[in-house]
Parts: sequence; C-alpha cells; structure tokens
Amino acid sequence: MVAALLAAPLAPIVAGLALVAGDRVPRAVSRHTAYAVSLAATLISLLAAALIAYDRPSLNRPWVPEVGMRLHLAVDGISVPLLLMTAAVGVLVVIHARHEQPGGGTPGTFFGCLLLVIGGGIATFLVQDAISFFLAFEVVLVPMWVLINRFGDPKDASERARAAATFVLYTVLGSTLMLVGILTMVFASGTADLATLARHPLPAGQQTVVAAILLIGLAIKVPIWPLHSWLPRAHTIAPTAGSMLLAAVLLKMGTYGIVRLVIAPLPAGVERLAPYVATCAVIGIVWGGLVCLVERSLKRLIAWSSVAHMGFVVLGLMSGTAIGLQAALFANIAHGVVSALLFAVVGGLKHRWGGDDLSVARRALRDVSPRLSLALVIGLAASLGLPGLAGFWGEVLAIFGAWNPGGDRSTGWFRLLAAVAAVGAVLAAAYALRVLRIVWMGDADGGRPLPPSPESDARGGELVVVTVLGAATVVLGVLPIILLNTTSGAVDHLMAVVGR
Amino acid sequence: MTLTYDWWLLAPVLVPGVGALLVLVVDAIAPRLGRVHWALTAGLLLVGAATVIPGLLPSADNPRRTLCLSDGSCLYAVDHVGAGLQFTALVSAAVIVLLALPIRVPTERAPVQAALLLTATAGASGVVAARDLTSWLVTLELATVPTVALVALRARRSATDGALSLLTTSLVSFAITAMGAALWFAATGTVQLGGDAVLAASHDADSRRILALAVVFIVAGVGFKLSLVPFHAWTPEAFGGASVPIGGFLAVTSKVAALGALLVIFRGVSVLGTSALAAIGVLAAISMTVGNVMALREQQALRFLAWSTISQAGWVVLPLAAVSSHAVRAAAGYLVVYALATLVAFAVVTALAHSDGRNHATRLASYGGLLRRRPLLGVTLALALLALMGLPPAVVGLVAKVLALGPVAGGRLWPLAIVAAVNAMLGVAVYLRWLRILFGAPTDPGTHDRLHPVHLAVVAIGLAALVVTSIAPQLLLGLVGR
Repeated sequence: MVAALLAAPLAPIVAGLALVAGDRVPRAVSRHTAYAVSLAATLISLLAAALIAYDRPSLNRPWVPEVGMRLHLAVDGISVPLLLMTAAVGVLVVIHARHEQPGGGTPGTFFGCLLLVIGGGIATFLVQDAISFFLAFEVVLVPMWVLINRFGDPKDASERARAAATFVLYTVLGSTLMLVGILTMVFASGTADLATLARHPLPAGQQTVVAAILLIGLAIKVPIWPLHSWLPRAHTIAPTAGSMLLAAVLLKMGTYGIVRLVIAPLPAGVERLAPYVATCAVIGIVWGGLVCLVERSLKRLIAWSSVAHMGFVVLGLMSGTAIGLQAALFANIAHGVVSALLFAVVGGLKHRWGGDDLSVARRALRDVSPRLSLALVIGLAASLGLPGLAGFWGEVLAIFGAWNPGGDRSTGWFRLLAAVAAVGAVLAAAYALRVLRIVWMGDADGGRPLPPSPESDARGGELVVVTVLGAATVVLGVLPIILLNTTSGAVDHLMAVVGR
Repeated sequence: MTLTYDWWLLAPVLVPGVGALLVLVVDAIAPRLGRVHWALTAGLLLVGAATVIPGLLPSADNPRRTLCLSDGSCLYAVDHVGAGLQFTALVSAAVIVLLALPIRVPTERAPVQAALLLTATAGASGVVAARDLTSWLVTLELATVPTVALVALRARRSATDGALSLLTTSLVSFAITAMGAALWFAATGTVQLGGDAVLAASHDADSRRILALAVVFIVAGVGFKLSLVPFHAWTPEAFGGASVPIGGFLAVTSKVAALGALLVIFRGVSVLGTSALAAIGVLAAISMTVGNVMALREQQALRFLAWSTISQAGWVVLPLAAVSSHAVRAAAGYLVVYALATLVAFAVVTALAHSDGRNHATRLASYGGLLRRRPLLGVTLALALLALMGLPPAVVGLVAKVLALGPVAGGRLWPLAIVAAVNAMLGVAVYLRWLRILFGAPTDPGTHDRLHPVHLAVVAIGLAALVVTSIAPQLLLGLVGR
C-alpha cells in the first residue's frame, strides 16, 4: 500500500521527466510513444489514488533534515476527493491531448509537461508537511510555463510569452510569500508537520500577520480578486489540455492550501481577516459575472467565470462553519469537473473555429455538433448553478454557510455578503444563457442551413473526455451525498480543532 | 610563547600554498610544460580537498583548533561549516582548473596563472579558519590580490579594464577593512576575533559603539569581495573581461572566501544584536534587487552571470540579518548550492566558448536552441538556471531558498522577507529569459568544433551532481553541518 503512495505522484513525474529529457536523445519521441507512456503513467496514478482512497495508508520518513522536510505522505477526507479528481482529470487530459496536440514543440515535451503538472498536483494533495507542500506547489510551475509559452495559442508569440511570464511571476510571488508564512510557523513551533501545526497554533496575537501573508500568497493561486489578473490571460493562451489542468488542478491547490495552512493552524488569524477576504471573494463573484456579460473571447469568458466560482469556494471557507467548509470542498470538486468539461468543449470549439471570438456569426452549434453542444449545455447549466447538477450544491451551501457565520464574525456583514453572492449567482445565469444563445442557438443569419457534419462533432478521445466529465457533473449533482459524506468526518474533526 | 601545530588541520591551506611554490619550482627546472602545470594544480587542489574530508564527518570535533597559544586561545579553528566552506573552495578551484586546462595560453603564462590560482585558493581556505584579526586580514587579501592578476593575464583591453576596476576596488576595500580592523582592535583591545573580548566590549557603551562601527566597516570591506551593492561595480567589468574559467573563479571560489571571512566576524558579533546586523539586511535587500533588475536587461552571458552573482550574494547574506543559531548554517548552505549551480553554468559557458568561439558564447542570443543543438549542454545549463531560480525540477535550489528565508521568517523581519519574496519573483524573470532562449529558435555559430573531452566530462559530472543533489539535497547541505 505504501507503494501506491509513492506511485501516485511519482509515476507521472518520472514518466514526465523521462519524456522531456529523452526527447532529443537520440531523436524526438514519437507521438504514439509519448501518448502510450503518458496514458500508462496516469492510469497507474489513478489506480494508486483509488487504492490510497480505499486503504488510507501512510508513509513517514526523514528526507532533508536541514530544512525539516520529511517524506510524509497520507490522505484524509479533505484530500481524498481532490486526489481522485486530479488523478482522473489527469487521465482525461492525456486522452484529450492525443486528440488535440498543439504545434510549437515535440509531443514528448508536450506530454511530459502535462504529466509533470499532474504529478505535482497529486503530490500537493498527498504531502503532510508544510515545506514539502511548498515544494509540490512549485513543481507545476515550470512545466505549466512551457505549456503556455511553447504550446499556447500559435497566433501571437509575444502574447504567449507575456501570458506565460505573468502566470509564472504571479505564482512565484504568491508561493514565496506562502513560504515566508510557512517558515514563520515552522520556526515558532519547531515542526513542519501539518497535523502538529494544527494542534499547536501560534499565540493568537501573532496569528494575524502570518495568516495575512499566507492568505495573500495563496490568494494569487486561487485566485481571489484583486490578485486574479494572471488567470484570464493564461487561460486564453494555454492549450486546451493546459487550461483543463489549470482550472481543475492548479486552482484547487490554492484553496486546499488555505484549508491546510491557514484555517487549521491559524483560527484566530482567520477570524480577524475573514470579513476582508470574504469581501474580496464576493467582489470577485460579481466582478467575474459582470465581465462575463460582455466578454467576447469564449475561452477568456470561461476563465472569468472561474474567478467567480472560486469566489464561492473562498466565501465558504471564510464563513467559519462546518457547512461552509463542506460547501467549499464540494464547490472545489464541482468546479474542477465543470471547468474541465467547459474548457474541453470551448478549447475544442476554438480549435475548430480557428478563434473564439463570440462576435463572429456562426451556425448553431446544436446543428453542427450535437454532442459537443450537449456537453456545452450541461457545463454551462452546471456553471449557472442549476439544481441537479454539480455546481448547485457548493454555491447554495456556501451562501447558506455565510448566512450564519461561525465564531465572532459579524453576522450582518456576512449576510450582506451572502446576499451579494446570490446576486452573483444570478449574473452567472445571465452570462451562461448569453453564451448558449450565441453559440448553441447560433446566428440565424449566419449562412444557409447545412446538414450536420459528423467530422466536426466530438469523436474518439474528445467524446470520451466530455462524456465522462458530463456524467460526473450529473452524478455529483444528483448524489452530492457521496462527496459530502467523504469530507464530513475530516471537516468535523477540523472544526473541533479550530473551535477549541 | 609556544604554539601547537596540527599539520593535518592546516593542510587545506598549506597544500595549495606550498603547491603554488611547487608549480613555480617545476617551471624553473623544466620550463614550458604548459598543460602539465594545470594538471598538477588540479591534483594539488583535490589533494587539499581530500585533507578536509575528516573534518566533514559528523563525528569530527566541532570546532577543531590548532595554532593554540599557551593561554588557551587559538589562531586557527575549523568547525563543520568552516570545513564545508574549505572543501567547497578547494573543489570549486579544482573544477575551474580543469575548465582552464584545455584553453590555449602562451606556455610561459600557464605556471604563473596556476601559481596565482593556488595562492588565491590557499587564502580562501585560510580566511575561513582564521580566528585573529591579522591572519584574517592577510588571508583575505591573499584570496583577493592574485585574482587581479588572473583577470589581467588574459591580456586583452577588456581584461585590463576589468583587472583595473578589480584592483581599485580591492584596494579601497582593503583600506576600509583595515580601518574596521583597527576600530575592532580599539574597541576590544585584542586581535582575537571571537569570544570573551567582544562580549566584554559589548558591555561598555562606548566600546560597543566603536565595535558596531568596526562591524559596519568590515561588512563594507567584505561587501566588495562578495560584490554586494553598492560595492559591486567591479563585478560585471571583471567577469566580462576575464577568461571564462577565471570569471567562474571570481564567482565561486572568491565568494566562498568572502562569505567565510564574513562568517568569522559574524560569529563574534552576534552578541551585539540586531542593530549591527541591520546593515547586512539592507545590503542583502539592495543587492538582490539591483542585481536582478540589471540582469533583466543584460545581453552578454558573462555580464549576466555577474549580475546574477550580485543578486545571489544578497541571498547568501540574507539569513545573517537575523540573530539566529541557524543563520550561519543557512548562509553557508545557500552558498554551497549557489556555488554548485554557478560552477555548472560557467562550465557550460566555458565548453561552448571553447568549441564555438568566445564571441559566440558570450552573447545570450547565441544560446538559442541550445537544447536542440547540444542537448547535454542545454539540459545542464537549464538545470543550473533552474537551481539558481530555486524552482523544481532543481529541488536543490528550492531547498536553498527555503534555507535562506528560514531565519528571516523565523525572526519576523517582515520587510526583508517581503523584499526577498519579490526578488524570488524577479529572479525567476531573470533566469527565465535565458531559459526561454534555450528553448527558442537555433542560431548557427559558424564553427562546430567538438567539445573538448575534459569540458565534456566536467559538464556531465555537473549535470549528475545537480540531479543527485535534487533527489537528495541533504548530500550537499550536509557539507556545512547538520
């Protein structure tokens, strides 16, 4: 079982490094080999993740004693869903990447970088000490930079470079600030172990500064308004597979970090800062919704909607209630699945259209590509929070949690925030329907009606990806209890520790 | 007065020091041997490094002393950190010699260069262990003055300019350091650097003030050698003018000497508390920022590495701004990682300069497509740059960053920590520029000589070292104590 703990992150990382390093020696890896290796690595990783989720093993060995890093891998109810989602999305991303492999570099490098991002994400959700958490956090940076810089939108090289650099620089600033916060805690308590840190918090007076530094650092990753500006740019340029990983995995690392590094060990600091952070989150919800109402680039629109959705997650986290925390964890997973679905569809559309400008008149998607259009409808319906789909529960429960905030938080202010967030949910409905009107119904004057063309619809790998993600969206919406039950034990435990 | 001698303990200084004489004697007996001198030098340096190994073992006494006077005070002491720094200095100098070996120089010049390099290394190895002001000052200058001649011996206009600028600043820095030493003596009444005299002086308000001033002067003087801003002006000139391996010597071995010198002083003055150390914090913050900002615009590879050295020097002294038992080890640990990464980068530049021509290899733009053109050099350079920016897959660089930030965060020096975080970002921007060029479109150098086997071997060993230490960073950090 310990082998599974090592296999889950290491299979993709080692395979990824091998693909990148072996790409030129003696000649480029063929597309087929790269795909086969990647699929095998991610499947091993998914299998290992399933075993870990079932058996809950633990591994604890010293690694770099000089900085207090240990090789301590384990899971609990909070990390299991994220682990499984990352591993599953990893497999789907690889399948999708075979279907749509962008130019700009060799297949070996492309698949290798995807694998490294997946492996880094899995490692993030497995590690149990704060410094290794930082390490896992950083693993994804360079491969993601390569994905955006080399394999992004082929049209504009300088915009690619700018988007990639913005992503890396923002994220490095955030993670270094996070490291400062981590090191302060580690120095004060003499251990980097996350569970021990949570049991022995800093004196209440010192918590606010540390929590502020950590929250600013993690807010860049999540991202929380006003530190979000790297996200739309990166998403617009990134290749489809990269966008799926960015939305489904990388953003989740930020919210997971908030749970592990801020909420658990620094409850007093969070209580002081919660109103401000929650306010920023709600501004992000409304801001993202308003931008989506007018945004013309379809991919950028979905990216902006991510800012809004992550706002709900942060609102739930900051409410200080068990239900809010549950909601946040649920919305985290839901957004991972839904945004991966939407980016798969939208990326596919951008690929087919040769651009994603919504102001260009096009034929109705329901006529041209019925399968893709169904996936788009499911994704956008979940995104607007339609009951019965994944997006609903997280957002409703987050608003519910914020309505009766825990601790000494000002009830009046949080109720106001909850009300504004509800307005943001209405905005989500407005922009989702706007996209459906433009894309799904199409422009009636756009041309003479043609019979549906099967070659332009989702087939093969792409069909598998959107089907699985669409099904997951429905299942999470209809049976939210599966996920809520998984997290509830760990959340109750966390609330008991925090509420001390 | 009697002195005790422990020759084994003194060997890391004596072997290169006597070796310098040996090289000259060999030249006098059998002139114009050329490369043989370099090979002899590399061997001597490695022997010197081997004599340090007993001090690196965890079981070694901490510190080990010799040259002890009858009153019990010792003029020479090596603790774990010191042994690690001596080892780093000797091994890095040996690597530099190996890099210089294939380069054609007039045969009468080789023994002179080799002797100078050995002398400077002996100084670097000695200053780490010096425990009294006079030998500290002498060994520090011994580590510095030969580098002026080493730079000048390339005998080009740019080299002379660089040497001149190095000479001027090293003279000024000597004057400032000597002034600091004089003030130190005035405050404590002894040439001993550590221990009770400083403690006694710090109790008296007047001598405490003089001591603080002495520390500021000494930090400024050593700042020249470490190329901390605002004492950095010589660095780009000297790096750009010197032959590539000598640039590496300035970037690595000289820096080991300078940090070793600073640590000797630092151990003594930590009793003074934060006020004296604030100067170090300010220098660290300015150096990082200026070095990074200037590197962002630099088009010449060697000058780029010079600016990178300046900003990395800021990172090296960053932990010393906090009063912490971890500070010395953190600074030394960061330096060792920096030394490895920079040495590997210089190895790649040297190899490329040797095969494609210096004019080609010193332009950043000529590294375009290196990953495709020369995969081994490209991958090695990429990994070295990643280590310098502190990002995985070069985990060792990331661990070094954690190590350097630790005392600062632990001491809650928030402004300094935030400056460091911003500079971590700037540093990534700096090195990504070069990394992007590596990935970019290939450029044709015109000549395609094969890599010299010695260069190839050094680069391959460098790559292996980076990979191994990224999997097990403790192997490298263990050099400077546990």
